Amino acid sequence: MAMVLPNHASATGGGKPTRPGAVAPAAKRGLVAQILDTRASGILLVIALLLLWEATARFGWVQSQNWPPFSAVMVALYRNILSGELLAVIGQTLWVTLRGYLLGCGLGIVIGFAIAMWRMARLTLEPTIDIMRTIPTTAVIPPLIFVFGLGDPLKIFAVAFAVVFPMALSTASGAGAIDPIYTQVARTFGLPRSYVLRRVYFPAALPFIMAGLRTSLGLALIVTVVSEMIAGNSGIGFYLFQTQYAMRVTDMYAAIILLTIVAYLINRLFLTWEGRVIHWARTREAT
Amino acid sequence: MKLVTPQTTPINGQSIRIEGISKTFSSHGGTMLAVDDVALSVRPGEFLAIVGPSGCGKSTLLQIIAGLIPPTSGRVFLGDKDVTAQPAHMVYLFQQYSKSLLPWMNVEENVMFSFTHREQLSKSAARDRCHEYLQMVGLTAFHSYFPWQLSGGMQQRVAIARALAAEPHALLLDEPFSSVDALTRLDLHALMLDLWTQKRFTAVLVTHDVDEAVFLADRVAVLSHRPGRIVDIVDAGMPRPRLPVTTHQDPRFIAVRNQLLARLLTKPDAADVPAV
Ligand SMILES: Nc1ncnc2c1ncn2[C@@H]1O[C@H](COP(=O)(O)OP(=O)(O)OP(=O)(O)O)[C@@H](O)[C@H]1O
Ligand SMILES: [Mg+2]
Repeated sequence: MAMVLPNHASATGGGKPTRPGAVAPAAKRGLVAQILDTRASGILLVIALLLLWEATARFGWVQSQNWPPFSAVMVALYRNILSGELLAVIGQTLWVTLRGYLLGCGLGIVIGFAIAMWRMARLTLEPTIDIMRTIPTTAVIPPLIFVFGLGDPLKIFAVAFAVVFPMALSTASGAGAIDPIYTQVARTFGLPRSYVLRRVYFPAALPFIMAGLRTSLGLALIVTVVSEMIAGNSGIGFYLFQTQYAMRVTDMYAAIILLTIVAYLINRLFLTWEGRVIHWARTREAT
Repeated sequence: MKLVTPQTTPINGQSIRIEGISKTFSSHGGTMLAVDDVALSVRPGEFLAIVGPSGCGKSTLLQIIAGLIPPTSGRVFLGDKDVTAQPAHMVYLFQQYSKSLLPWMNVEENVMFSFTHREQLSKSAARDRCHEYLQMVGLTAFHSYFPWQLSGGMQQRVAIARALAAEPHALLLDEPFSSVDALTRLDLHALMLDLWTQKRFTAVLVTHDVDEAVFLADRVAVLSHRPGRIVDIVDAGMPRPRLPVTTHQDPRFIAVRNQLLARLLTKPDAADVPAV
């Protein structure tokens, strides 16, 4: 994180704008204030919390069998990754997440466009969607076990169920909020309907779709892990319960750390991709 | 503004004939007559301007001609074809240029999307055509820019190139120059006349800027206060090519401009009384 510090002066996103007059008071501020006002402060807080974890366990501030020091967890993480155990487990989870996510989002986008473009579809589907989206996904898992049994199909369905409605709604609001001038432009050039759908409605709705995809991503991962806990025989949710029952707390925390890292990386990757896909959705001021 | 490229092929505009067009809007339970029995004939390749006070139904009339909204009664012909029910190849140039370009397409894609679906062109032929029109508006170098990276005047020039690249039989212009600064406007006037001279499309321009109407058009039609009704048609008749500085001082220009202004500044109640 030392590399973040020199960036601060030229950074426009975080921190305060550098005004000529602001230099003198800044110099007068205490060292702590100066450090907190950099981008590194966020990372420093993470490190501080991890150190606190380490200290509470190592110096016995927390007296518990179930509170291993952070360093021990990292060692376990390293060991369990090398042994292949954790990779298999996280792989199972991500494979379920991916399939459920794609299924639910794909369906949601199609339903969303149908609602936005055809009155009939909206009148028919909207009440059902409004009711279904209020059902907590975790509540449908137990009855679904009767249908799917334990295994991937159940979990995939649960993930798809969780994301399809928010995805349909954000797509519908994106396609519905299209500026009428775009449809008029399409009309004046006599563009066929399928072409307008692809080249006008879809891109116009894209910022909304991307926002929906981003929220759905986190949701999909949560629902995967929860359904693995409720009805699992594989994946990280199941692994967490197994290690907990077996009192392998260090392994349990290692799995949680890995899940956190993976989720964080996926989100970062998604943000980069999103920035590329809707790079045009900018204004002059924003650059 | 720039040299006329000799190898360019004319579009060859078609005549537009409007018969008894009326439009009634229903609002808040009541009805409102926006356009009242307008008949108008535009010759092939002619540049016709329609001026009238704000709210008199100019945009409504032009949108009816373009087939964007249906008239309550009356018919529109393009050439011999009745296009009232079935929109034909006319392109409407919107006033809100900054919104009419599609922000997710760069300049080239914006221009190409106006015609590629209609004609089976090879990729390179489509690109050639696109660049022919971009060159005419002087924006070849900006072909890969996105709309937000262009100035207002540049955006409007892209919109013009896009409209013409579709090679319509008629171009319908709804105050397309009203939201740019005065210098850019003169620049765009010259560009529009240059393009019109080269391509010979039929042009119908709606504006409330009398100078603009007289400078650009062959004839100027005057609409009354709402409900819009044609009260006068005047020949502009200055020689072409028209040039920003000299044409504006032409005695003919000044006479026509003053005549139209006097007509437009008449009180609403007296508008229908023929000036004797
Ligand atoms: N879709 C609509 N529904 C109801 N009334 C409308 C509609 N469109 C236009 N009008 C009314 O019709 C009248 C003419 O509108 P129009 O936009 O054609 O005027 P305009 O001459 O173009 O005015 P301006 O010069 O200000 O652009 C106005 O009184 C307007 O309120
Ligand atoms: Mg108008």
